[in-house]
Amino acid sequence: MTDTIVEEEQPAPLSTQPERPADPAGRGPIVAAVRIWRQFTSMRTALLLLALLALAAIPGTVIPQRGLDPVKVNSYLAAHPHLGPLMDKLSLFDVFAAPWFVLIFILLFVSVVGCVIPRVRLHYRAMRRRPPNAPRHLLRMSASTGWETDESPAALGKRVHTMLRSSHWRADLRTEADGGVTVSAEKGYLRETGNLIFHIALLLLLVGIALSSLYGYKGTVLVSQGGGFSNARADYDVFEPSRLFSDSQLSPFSLTMQSFKATYNPANGEPLTFKADVHYTSSPTSPSKPYVVQVNHPLNLPGAKVFLVGHGYSLIMKVTNADGTVKYDGPTAFLPDNSLFASHGVLKVPSLGAGGGQLGLTGEFYPTAAVTQSGGLQSIFPAPDHPVLALSAWQGNLGFNTGIPQSDYSLPVTGLKNIGITQLSPGGSWKLPDGATVKFVGVQQWATFQVAHEPGKRTVLVAAVLIVVGLLGSLRVRRRRFWIRAVPAPVGQDPRRTVVTAAGLARSDVGGFVDELDDLVKQIGRSPHGAIETERD
Amino acid sequence: MAPNLHLAHVSDVLLTWAVFCYAFAMLGYAAEFAGTRRAARAIENGERRNGALYSRRLGQAAVALTFIGWAIEVGSVTTRGLAVHRVPWGNMYEFSCMVTLVAVTIYLTLLLSQPLKRIGAFLTLRPSRHTMSWRSRESVRYLGAFLMAPVVLYIGIAATVLYAAPGPLVPALDSYWIKIHVVAAITATGAFMVSGVVTLLYLLKERYERGLPPLHMVIARRLRSPRHPEQFSFGPGTAAAAEMNAASSGLMQSLPSAESLDRLAYRVITFAFPVWTFAIIAGAIWAETAWSRYWGWDPKETWSFITWLGYAAYLHARATAGWRGRRAAMLSLIAFGSLMIDYYVVNTVITGLHSYAGIS
Repeated sequence: MTDTIVEEEQPAPLSTQPERPADPAGRGPIVAAVRIWRQFTSMRTALLLLALLALAAIPGTVIPQRGLDPVKVNSYLAAHPHLGPLMDKLSLFDVFAAPWFVLIFILLFVSVVGCVIPRVRLHYRAMRRRPPNAPRHLLRMSASTGWETDESPAALGKRVHTMLRSSHWRADLRTEADGGVTVSAEKGYLRETGNLIFHIALLLLLVGIALSSLYGYKGTVLVSQGGGFSNARADYDVFEPSRLFSDSQLSPFSLTMQSFKATYNPANGEPLTFKADVHYTSSPTSPSKPYVVQVNHPLNLPGAKVFLVGHGYSLIMKVTNADGTVKYDGPTAFLPDNSLFASHGVLKVPSLGAGGGQLGLTGEFYPTAAVTQSGGLQSIFPAPDHPVLALSAWQGNLGFNTGIPQSDYSLPVTGLKNIGITQLSPGGSWKLPDGATVKFVGVQQWATFQVAHEPGKRTVLVAAVLIVVGLLGSLRVRRRRFWIRAVPAPVGQDPRRTVVTAAGLARSDVGGFVDELDDLVKQIGRSPHGAIETERD
Repeated sequence: MAPNLHLAHVSDVLLTWAVFCYAFAMLGYAAEFAGTRRAARAIENGERRNGALYSRRLGQAAVALTFIGWAIEVGSVTTRGLAVHRVPWGNMYEFSCMVTLVAVTIYLTLLLSQPLKRIGAFLTLRPSRHTMSWRSRESVRYLGAFLMAPVVLYIGIAATVLYAAPGPLVPALDSYWIKIHVVAAITATGAFMVSGVVTLLYLLKERYERGLPPLHMVIARRLRSPRHPEQFSFGPGTAAAAEMNAASSGLMQSLPSAESLDRLAYRVITFAFPVWTFAIIAGAIWAETAWSRYWGWDPKETWSFITWLGYAAYLHARATAGWRGRRAAMLSLIAFGSLMIDYYVVNTVITGLHSYAGIS
């Protein structure tokens, strides 16, 4: 919380921080607890926790994080066999979920709560109090002025009081014993209001984040052209439910991808657009509707959003055994290895029949192939302008019967026998030594979709808006006071004359206060003559 | 649509001219400073010289050059936008130019918003932090001398290391949010740059007001005789301190009081901090549309958050006894440092989702 204890040189202290009651005296566990609580909710502790949180976040940007790049974490662990596991124990690969990080976060929020609650009460009281009476000698204040007028003190006081009220000052009219009239006014309560809104909104933000992380879910699925998926756990390649998630939360939509199109800048191969044409139904009974999912254009469905998060090539291969029986015909997804979409993939045929055993094909795919200086192949453009598929064929036990889950994208070749390698263009065929034929039929695209549901999203958004609004109030609004006193001219002078003095006091550093005071007294009708000149240093 | 290479070239040329204007303006401001010092010394020595007038003219010329440079840079940014048929802040090069444009704009706004000799009814009897306003503030022209250096450096790095050939946006950036999130980030960065310069000046002046010699002189002396650091005492009142202070007093006296520098830095930060907060929030909303989550602790997000925490700590420190002043200012500089890490290091060294530098 900003704005506290600033020692005031002025007669009337004006801080937006309401004064706190003094620490309780004496001994005993309750007194000690109150003291510790006071210490904990002090600005100094908040400052310390802010700094600690900032420091604690730094390792999360330097050390690879599981949440961002699990592959990198694994290779880091492999490269640092001694240090790695120790770092893992300290949660350095999951910094933002680490107990120590969460602890600092929670402490910071508890300190905010401890700071906000008493301030809300005190601010409410302050807003209902009358503005404090004018100090005795207004001209002694640093921003002050005075003049004389023919208007009676009572009339002037009444007029100024009405004027200030109509321009949203909290104003109070008082009559003094000597016949003088004072108006005290105060403005800028929005500063503390904004400050409190900001800190309460931070707590609301935490509630929203908690809702999402307790009830949300996230699923990722790879879809080939013409394929699709339903919003069911089993359909996803990766499914990350939150702690209190239940399958009944999955809304019953399904989606098929008609086509996927990527365009690239011909000059440098940088991507220009990604478009996935899909048909979707929100529920099994509703009609199917078309939509184009793009980066920055997710598909909004009740209870979930569908995002396009990745793409790559599927290669259509047809495997025929020596008899001419088709053993496999369809797309196989290859995973991209670089931004030019050189990709790798695997096709496994469990049984060729007709004398052939199990067949494994490992492939490298180059959408626009070119020969490197060393004679190898590389991709020079991400679009399939000159596609080439390099294949190796393997024979032996592929491990289908071991019961161990198989990767769709890799084939451990130890124990397998290589029976040949080749390079194919679309339409090309390759005859294997055992009589089987592999035909490279063509190229298709696949896309990965991420389906996400974050129930706390709205709460977070509302909190975020309140955070900005509150900040603007607490940083840009100035808390200020204005006083004016009108007294009859002293004995011996013209009795119809009234002596007017005025002064202002601003608490915060937002400029323009003296101009505001100038305009105020001009409105009140300070005559240019008879002004009490004060010297400027 | 293919970029208009001719217009893009015009933009590059204009940027070069803008940098020249800023660089010469910097020299002009510096000359004014030097001239004021010499004139002050001349008056002290009882000489009758009119050097003050010339140096003042140089300062005015520097202001004029800053305005011209600003106008040319606006032209450069506009032609860049027209050449690539999109907003001109799609990569680090363009972002840097926009940041400097914002910083110079803020400086010129501060310069213009000083009313010329307006005499009001409320006169300040003694300086007080409560009544300071535009009128009672000294000219901000001193800021020009120190702001032009980082501006020229920023554009220099942008045009050499970060330069990106004109081209379209990558799909991830192709959203109307680039007009909201990135504009807010640019505005806040430009403003933080101004507050960073003012804070640095505050720290210098604050040290001077405490009677301590400038830090760079102390370091220079220590380096010259590193063996016996204990034989130099630089505390306030020592002969060494007085000697070094005399050498720098001209410069220091031309600066406004530490208190008013501190206040200006605070004012700029109270503008920049809500804008930065908004930039982070707008970024989160955009991330939710583009990457399916509003916050993922991506390095860019994390460093933006660290920067936010830094400035939040500054605002709290400014209201905490024992932290006000020098320590708060240090926090603000640390926060600015993390903003620079967020911009330069995260975009180029650390791989994350914000890899739009356009450099490889």
